[in-house]
Amino acid sequence: MVDRTRIDAESRVPLDALLEAIPGGFNAISDIVQRREVVAGLQAAVAAVVPPNDRVTREDRRIPGPDGAPDTRVRIYRPKDVQGTLPGIFYIHGGGMVLGSIEGEDAAAALLCERVGAVVVSCAYRLAPENPYPAQVDDCYAGLTWMARHADELDFDINRLAIYGASAGGALCIAMAMMARDRGFPAVSYMMPIFPMLDDRNVTASSHEITDVGIWDRSGNIQAWAWYLGGKEADAYAAGARATDLSGLPPAYIGVGELDLFRDEDIEFATRLMQAGVPTELHVYPGHYHASEVFAPDAELSQRLWKGRVDALRRALH
Amino acid sequence: MSARDKIDPESLPGLDALLAAVPGGFGAFHDPMERRARLATVLAASAAGMPANDRVVTTDRVIPGPLGAPDTQVRIYRPVGVDGALPGIVYIHGGGMSTGTIDGEDAIAAMYCEQLQCVVVSLEYRLAPENPYPAQIEDCYAGLQWTGLHADEIGLDRERLAVYGGSAGGNLAIAMALLARDRGTPNISFCMALYPMVDDSSTLPSTQEITDIGVWDRGTSIEAWEWYLGGRPADGYAAPLRNPDLSDFPPTYLDVGEVDLVRDETLAFASRLLHAGIPVELHVSPGSYHASEIFSPGVELSDRIWALRIDAFKRAFGK
Repeated sequence: MVDRTRIDAESRVPLDALLEAIPGGFNAISDIVQRREVVAGLQAAVAAVVPPNDRVTREDRRIPGPDGAPDTRVRIYRPKDVQGTLPGIFYIHGGGMVLGSIEGEDAAAALLCERVGAVVVSCAYRLAPENPYPAQVDDCYAGLTWMARHADELDFDINRLAIYGASAGGALCIAMAMMARDRGFPAVSYMMPIFPMLDDRNVTASSHEITDVGIWDRSGNIQAWAWYLGGKEADAYAAGARATDLSGLPPAYIGVGELDLFRDEDIEFATRLMQAGVPTELHVYPGHYHASEVFAPDAELSQRLWKGRVDALRRALH
Repeated sequence: MSARDKIDPESLPGLDALLAAVPGGFGAFHDPMERRARLATVLAASAAGMPANDRVVTTDRVIPGPLGAPDTQVRIYRPVGVDGALPGIVYIHGGGMSTGTIDGEDAIAAMYCEQLQCVVVSLEYRLAPENPYPAQIEDCYAGLQWTGLHADEIGLDRERLAVYGGSAGGNLAIAMALLARDRGTPNISFCMALYPMVDDSSTLPSTQEITDIGVWDRGTSIEAWEWYLGGRPADGYAAPLRNPDLSDFPPTYLDVGEVDLVRDETLAFASRLLHAGIPVELHVSPGSYHASEIFSPGVELSDRIWALRIDAFKRAFGK
C-alpha cells in the first residue's frame, strides 16, 4: 500500500476527488467501452476548466492505415502567427493501449505545438482488446511515415522530427523509434517517451509497490498487457524492456514519477539507453504519480514537468 | 566513438582549458601534493573571474575534531543583514577524497547562501592517502555535529538542515545522512548528492566507458578508492551502494551527467533509495561530464544544472 502522504499535496487533491467519484479508479470499471467513456469524460472535465487553446490551428485528416487495415486519423496542430519552417512532433496519446484518443490529449498536443513552436501531428490508433498488438504499432507507423512523406505539404523540417508520447504513448514512441531505425525510415532526431509502459513482466519493485494509487495500478497494468498482447509473447516493439539492441536510437528524454508503477522499468531503460551510447536525459520526480500533471494541471509540480519537457524539446529542435 | 564525443559542445572549451592547465588531467599526477596544487590552481583561476560575493559574510572557525584526532576547520556563510533562524546546508567539498578544500568551492557555498538565504557550514576534512577512511567521515561528522549543537549560535533552524556535496563530497553527504541516522543526531531533513562516488567496485558499464576525458577517469577513480580505503574492504559508509539498509534516509536529490564515470552507480543508488521508500529527485543531463558545471561555468547546460539544484533546495526549505 502506498503511503498517500508521499503524494505531492497539490496533485493529490484531484486524485482524491477522482477516487471519491470512481472508487478504485477508472481501471476498476470492468467494461472497457464504459471505461473509455468515463476516461474521456474525465479528460473533458479537466480540459473544460480552461478555454481551449486558440493560439494554434487544428486540422483533422483521415489517412491510409497499414496494409489491409482501416484508415486512421490524425490531427494536425500549427502555431498561429509563426514564420519560417518549424520542426515536427509526432504525438502519440496514452491510455494503456486500451483507451484514450486524440481528443482526450488535445490540450497537451496544443501546449507542445504552441510552447515548442512545432507542427504537431497527433495520431489515432486501434485499441485492445478488440485490436491487440501489433495493430497499435502498425497504425502509429502508418501515421509516422505519412507525416514524414508529407513534410513539404505540412511545412515542417524533416530533419527536425521528434516523437512524443506518454504512458502507452511512451511505449509506442520507443517502438516507433526502433521501427524507424530498423526499417530505415523516417529519420527521427529526438524522442520523448514520458513514463513509458515498457515491461509486460510486472516484476520490478515499483510494479509491486504501486497497487492502490488509483490511476495506473498493478492489476490494471496486468490486464492492459494481457489485452494488448492478446496471448502472444511480447517482442521488442511490444515491450521495449525486452529489446536487446538499443544502439542507434535517437537522443531521448524520459521523465517518470517516484510513485509511478513504471518508475523502475523506466530508470532501467534509461540506464540501458546510455549504456548503448544513446544521449539520454532522465528526470525522476518525487511525489509524482502516473500522469499527475494531467489530473492536476495547476500544481507547481505539473508546471515544472511541462517546463522541463518544453525546454528540452526546444533545445533539441531549435 | 570516444566518450569525449558525447560532451556538450559548449562545455568542451572549459574542459580543454582544464587539460591545458593540467596536461592529462588530475589523474596524471600521482603525487597527491602536486595533484592538490594543480586542482587549487584551476579552481582559483575559474574563481578569479568572479567578484567576491559581498552579499554574504563568512567566518572561519577551528572546531574540535573527532576523538583523538586533530582539530578541524569550518567556514560559516550567512547572508548579509538577515537575522533569525535560517535553514542550513552542511557543505562538503569534493576532490576524490584526496584533494579539495573549503577555499576551492568557496564561490559555490557563497552562491547557495545568497540565493537560498540560508546558513552554509562548509567542512574541511583530512585527505587520503595520508589519512585514509574513516578520517574523512569522522571529520565531517564532527563538523555536522558541531553545526547541530551550535544551531542557535549560528542562527540555524534545526528542522531544516541539509547535507550537500559533489563527487567525493556527494559520497560524504550520503555518509553523513547515514551516520546521523545511525547515531541518532542531528536530524537531516534533505540530502543533495551530486555525481557521488558510491561504489568502489568499478564494475558498472560507465566506469568502463569513461577512461580518457581527463576529469574523473577510470584510472583516477580506481586510484582514489585505493587511497581512500587504504587496503581495507569498503563498508556501507565508505561505499554507500554497499549499505544494505537505506530505510529512514532523508529525501534526496541526485544529479549526474551522462558522460560521467559515476553515472551508473548514481542511477543504481537512486533506485536503491526508491526501493527503500525514500523520496528521490533525480536528473541525468546528457553531454555533462564530471563536474562540468564547475569547469564550464556560464554555459547553458551548467546554468540548467545549477537552476535545478536551487529550485529543489527552495522546495526542500519551503522557500
